[in-house]
Amino acid sequence: MNRIFLFSFLLSATAVFAQTTPVNGLKTSIPEHYALQNATIVVSPGNILHNATIIIQKDKIEAVGKNIKIPKNTVIIDCEGKTILPAFIELNSNVGLPEVKRKSRSSRPQYETSKPGAYYWNESIHPEISASELYSENIKQNKELMKMGFGFAMTHQQDGIARGKGALVSLMKKNNGLMQSELTSFFSLKKGTSNQSYPSSQMGSIALLRQTFHDANWLKDNSETRNISLENLNTQRTGNIIFHTDDKYEIVRASKIAKEFDLSFNYIGSGNEYQIVDELSAINSTVILPLNFPKAYDVSNPYISRQIPLSDLKDWEMAPMNPVILKQHDINICLSSMNVKNAKEFWSNLRSAIQHGLSMDDALNALTLEPAKLIGVDKTMGSLEKGKFASFIVYNKNPFLESAKILETWMLGNQDVQGVEANSEIAGEYNLIIEEKKLPISIAGNSDKYTGKITFTSLKEGVKKDSTVNLKVINHLNDITLQFNIDDADWKGSITLRGKTNTKFGVFEGGGFLSNGKWVKWTAIKTDKANQENDDPVQYEVDTINHAWFPNIAYGFDSLPEAQNIVIRNATAWTNEEIGILENATLVVENGKLTYVGTGKFKTPADALLIDAKGKHITCGIIDEHSHIAISKGVNEGGQAISAEVSIEHVIDPDDIDIYRQLAGGVTTSQLLHGSANPIGGQSALIKLKWGHSADEMLVDDAAKFIKFALGENVKQSNWGSQNSIRFPQTRMGVEQLYFDGFQRARDYMKEWSAYKKNSNLNKPRVDLELQVLSEILQSNRFVTCHSYVQSEINMLMHVADTMGFTINTFTHILEGYKLADKMVEHGAGGSTFSDWWAYKYEVNDAIPYNAALMANQGVTVAINSDDAEMGRRLNQEAAKGVKYGGMSEIEAWKMVTLNPAKLLHMEERIGSLKAGKDADIVIWSDNPLSINAQVESTFIEGKLLYNVENDVLLKERNNQEKARIISKMLADKTPLNEKRTFIKTKKGHFHCNTIGEESSTEQNHH
Amino acid sequence: MKYLILLLLILSSNISEAQSPNKILLINGFLHKGNGETIKGALVGIENGKIELIKNTLAYSYQASDWDTIIDLQGQHIYPGFIAPNSTLGITEIDAVRATRDYREVGIFNPHVRSQIAFNVESKVISTVRTNGVLISQATPRGGIISGSSSVMKLDGWNWEDATIAANDGIHLNWPESIMNHRWSSEPIKASEKYTEKKAEIYSFFEMSKSYSKMSKNDKIDNRMEAMKGVFNGEKRVYIHANELQQLMDIIDFAKHFNLNFPVIVGGYDSHLITRQLVDAKIPVMLVRPHSLPVNEEDDVNHCYKLPFLLQSGGVQFCIQNQGDMEAMNARNIPFLAGTAKSYGLTEEEAISSVSLSSAQIMGIGKNYGSIEKGKSATLFVSKGNALDMRTNQVILGIIDGQFMTIENTQEKLYKKYAKKYEKQKKD
Repeated sequence: MNRIFLFSFLLSATAVFAQTTPVNGLKTSIPEHYALQNATIVVSPGNILHNATIIIQKDKIEAVGKNIKIPKNTVIIDCEGKTILPAFIELNSNVGLPEVKRKSRSSRPQYETSKPGAYYWNESIHPEISASELYSENIKQNKELMKMGFGFAMTHQQDGIARGKGALVSLMKKNNGLMQSELTSFFSLKKGTSNQSYPSSQMGSIALLRQTFHDANWLKDNSETRNISLENLNTQRTGNIIFHTDDKYEIVRASKIAKEFDLSFNYIGSGNEYQIVDELSAINSTVILPLNFPKAYDVSNPYISRQIPLSDLKDWEMAPMNPVILKQHDINICLSSMNVKNAKEFWSNLRSAIQHGLSMDDALNALTLEPAKLIGVDKTMGSLEKGKFASFIVYNKNPFLESAKILETWMLGNQDVQGVEANSEIAGEYNLIIEEKKLPISIAGNSDKYTGKITFTSLKEGVKKDSTVNLKVINHLNDITLQFNIDDADWKGSITLRGKTNTKFGVFEGGGFLSNGKWVKWTAIKTDKANQENDDPVQYEVDTINHAWFPNIAYGFDSLPEAQNIVIRNATAWTNEEIGILENATLVVENGKLTYVGTGKFKTPADALLIDAKGKHITCGIIDEHSHIAISKGVNEGGQAISAEVSIEHVIDPDDIDIYRQLAGGVTTSQLLHGSANPIGGQSALIKLKWGHSADEMLVDDAAKFIKFALGENVKQSNWGSQNSIRFPQTRMGVEQLYFDGFQRARDYMKEWSAYKKNSNLNKPRVDLELQVLSEILQSNRFVTCHSYVQSEINMLMHVADTMGFTINTFTHILEGYKLADKMVEHGAGGSTFSDWWAYKYEVNDAIPYNAALMANQGVTVAINSDDAEMGRRLNQEAAKGVKYGGMSEIEAWKMVTLNPAKLLHMEERIGSLKAGKDADIVIWSDNPLSINAQVESTFIEGKLLYNVENDVLLKERNNQEKARIISKMLADKTPLNEKRTFIKTKKGHFHCNTIGEESSTEQNHH
Repeated sequence: MKYLILLLLILSSNISEAQSPNKILLINGFLHKGNGETIKGALVGIENGKIELIKNTLAYSYQASDWDTIIDLQGQHIYPGFIAPNSTLGITEIDAVRATRDYREVGIFNPHVRSQIAFNVESKVISTVRTNGVLISQATPRGGIISGSSSVMKLDGWNWEDATIAANDGIHLNWPESIMNHRWSSEPIKASEKYTEKKAEIYSFFEMSKSYSKMSKNDKIDNRMEAMKGVFNGEKRVYIHANELQQLMDIIDFAKHFNLNFPVIVGGYDSHLITRQLVDAKIPVMLVRPHSLPVNEEDDVNHCYKLPFLLQSGGVQFCIQNQGDMEAMNARNIPFLAGTAKSYGLTEEEAISSVSLSSAQIMGIGKNYGSIEKGKSATLFVSKGNALDMRTNQVILGIIDGQFMTIENTQEKLYKKYAKKYEKQKKD
């Protein structure tokens, strides 16, 4: 039996996969078996064996356990005191792949694909890309991953929406390293390096991916058509799909696509998933979490730190809890090194996650078995059980608990000695004995660097005195060199000793020269036990102070408010009904609905909240017919002239602080519209501003369906610079023709489908999301809100609609509506306008603030909308301008921000007035709501109190306290100053009608 | 007495197109002087464009024959002409049309660039602004570090010379952002380093101009430096645009360092945090548009509504301005900005002052403008009701330097034209 030391040789073995490769030279002989003995072996999460042995044959584990028989011809390696962990599996990597470079682009927009061949029409859809064909081992990257404990990585090209197929590679290559390909594919909602104009927004990405899956379905039934991209996609549907996300809500968005197409997605998360655990639990997928936690800010300057958003601070505090919070909610997690700078950071973040409550078993599981299961390789990887690949790492200590060193990496049965252990630590107190003289020495530090002191008895002017001087200690493996200067009764000068260490017994021994040149033998014997290894596991205190708010930003709720039964008495109630304004009115709310509005007898419901509203004015909530708040990553899909397939409903951002701000202005319902970058924009979303709730909870479930159209300067790209002059249409003339063409295609589409429905022998038509939506308009199942300014275009669109047999429901902006209010009435269109805006672009030259009054006088249903997050919160003031300009009555003016928009939205059965049976969306005002003095005191939605002026004060105090608490925690954070984040403030942008791209704008806007 | 004009008459006639009468007497008005005082049933006498008489109608008997025109206001409100400080009104017409934008010149230090000569007295936008009671504006260039020199203008006149109240009243200095990063720069700048650098640039420019201004005779004329002279001899104000605390503190130092006579902070989002320092340094603030959203997520939702009250309580001199989105056309909403400030803490008269006397004083025209006081210019308007409330702001009469202004604007003309169309349709 050969006993060998760990550090004694570096194995060079023939690859286990190399059977097919001819050998150049002589065949290398390798031992049949290896056995690693006396180790602490973490076989799998929760299964730890001490003093155990693992036996390896070729690339597999032959046996693992205690007291197992060691076969003949086995190389035995002693691993006493060492810990063996299975190799981790990284699922989100681009290791070994070429960098994806953006093609050079012209200054003109690119509308068509530039990729030749039978591929999909959009360059961000490339499921055909195969990582295994592009993979080429990158030793530097692999080494960094192995330092983190990884043995395998699923690498893929991190670009585009349908990204292609990943390849699982072994990080130590003895052949090509490829373990799996073709079975796992990657997706995202990011367009990536494609220069094509479409998609330019997240909702566009969602629509594109949905259309792609529809097209792939269609291709299955149309075998005469070939498309490499779609064929690849069809094979991927049944494999493992990993969906990359950049934000917690993207998981929710992607999960809807999975549901729609009956697919099963797992997700690469972004680190803030702890904020949506309830939604995540319902999705029931595995989430691959980054072990990349935000760094502490440099908060030494209070002028700067006061401006750090509370949401950032809270996220900094809570991000390390992300893994444990998800585990607590039984969500399967994997951990990934994505975006982690280096191995040091990886381990420190991993331990931080454990300090924050993640159990070691869960952490290990998330790095080994869980990823293995996700990609279907758990039979061969992910633990150290018999029969699995011998891929594991030998550490000097348990790296989950404390800083540890990697000693050996075993990949597929091949050993690589990474670091050699300095035979554990030598720090401690010793007696150095040279020629029977005993000199106490003390050694401090760790294997990186030791320092020491030596004490001897000096004799100065006849007085004996203990002198302590520096001792130089150089320790490499088990070799030690000690050097010091001495001046005692016997020796003067420098002494250098060389020897071997035996830490097990605490003994060093060797030889050296005295200052007088005499060769001597020496020993050092440990005298203390203080520095001996502590076997107790390190205990961490779990930080439990913090919890996520709803949403996890300033003014978020600690817990969500419940719907209350309410009785409001002595109110001045603006009913918007025939009874007009009621004095001394009573309102009763039960189960989120108004059950009584009047001045007579009523029944007080159980547990009712009683509000005395003497001197107060009560109204229904304000309805903003035209808003762009609470939208993620793009309000315009400007990549095509018709983008009916996209929907704002898919990209609602419930964390937008502007939701709270609108509530503070009495707004309870907002229609979130697509922008005005193209003649046919996207589908709208109607939301109740239920602050703290999820996007799905905000969406009004039985809302009528709407879509945004647009006319004029924005759709013909008049103000977009001279480069944007090639998309059809560039004139109002072209806009008309685009509509005719679109609706004619929609008619043909409907015909094709109805023919197929009658005769299923026909080829199944392709599902076209765009034409489907246009068909809904033709069938009056979806209503149109059209951005419009000048009378010619308004007139034109009504003609188009009349010809095609549908009605334009609402013209929005409609600043020249007063010029053709009679025609609007005839057609049946309503108008949602600004109170007094004008002069911001050429086409609003004839805008007048009397527009609303003139249209209303002719019988047009008129609303005043905001199209602006700031104005949205004081729509009451804007409505009041109806009194000033054109002399409307106060009641009629008030209806312009309540009942009239409700009518335009076909929601007047539920909202828009105070009437028994309607939703309890109620605002309590300090004064007449049209008065400049009016302030909102409370805003209820469906009986839930979501804003209250007194609670607002408390929330502010709580925000301040929370901020102060976290900042002081940050001040105490031990991250070195040069590694801390410098706070860079970004202005909160807002989306406007004409904002292009996924970023909101801080620029002036032209609506 | 030549005419006794009834209100109906004023509403329907176009007085200003004729020569205005020389001696005008307004009686029975509710007078808001602009300096905090009010008189119910007031009598205001105007002669040669100046206010010559302010009395209580009940306590004063006038000789009707002494006046060319007497107007009985029947209890309606008289206000000093409101002011739109720091505005591009008149130097832009249609925001999206480049040809109409005259407020941003090329260059970083442009003190020599003057808005006065680009001011379009016939701007259609202006016609809609004065009809809400805003009668004076400070035409202000934008861009660069020093955008240029502003001028205070009347919103009615035959040409820019005629309309000028104060030419080149001050230069506008855009203080660099201390920690802001702009979206379009891909790499986050270590903003604080950049900040110091940019501040140094400003200091060095001011040092240079200061030394130039001290020279008795300059061999070579430098127009930039010439334009800066006024800053150091006390003729020109320095309007320093900044919002954030660090900037504001640095501006106080800067003003001290150069011993600036009239520094003014424009913006002042964080100014409520340092009211004592601002009072000590005697620096007034033209406040950020009250109808603005909070900058930081945790800021008070109504922070900008409340700022005027916070400065009032802190004893800082301030006024309201309107810089921001669509500021030219939005200048007509300045009365309602003051109204909102009133709703959030100011008294009514304080709110009025914040868009009249206080603005005039800050711009250095307070001696003659900004309030209705004896000896001052007769620049005022009458509103049927409270001018700070949208519902009741109905301007029926405006006088600028003693001249009646045109009360009908281009928008009203269109209104009447189409109202007539529909009336006719109804009859048919």
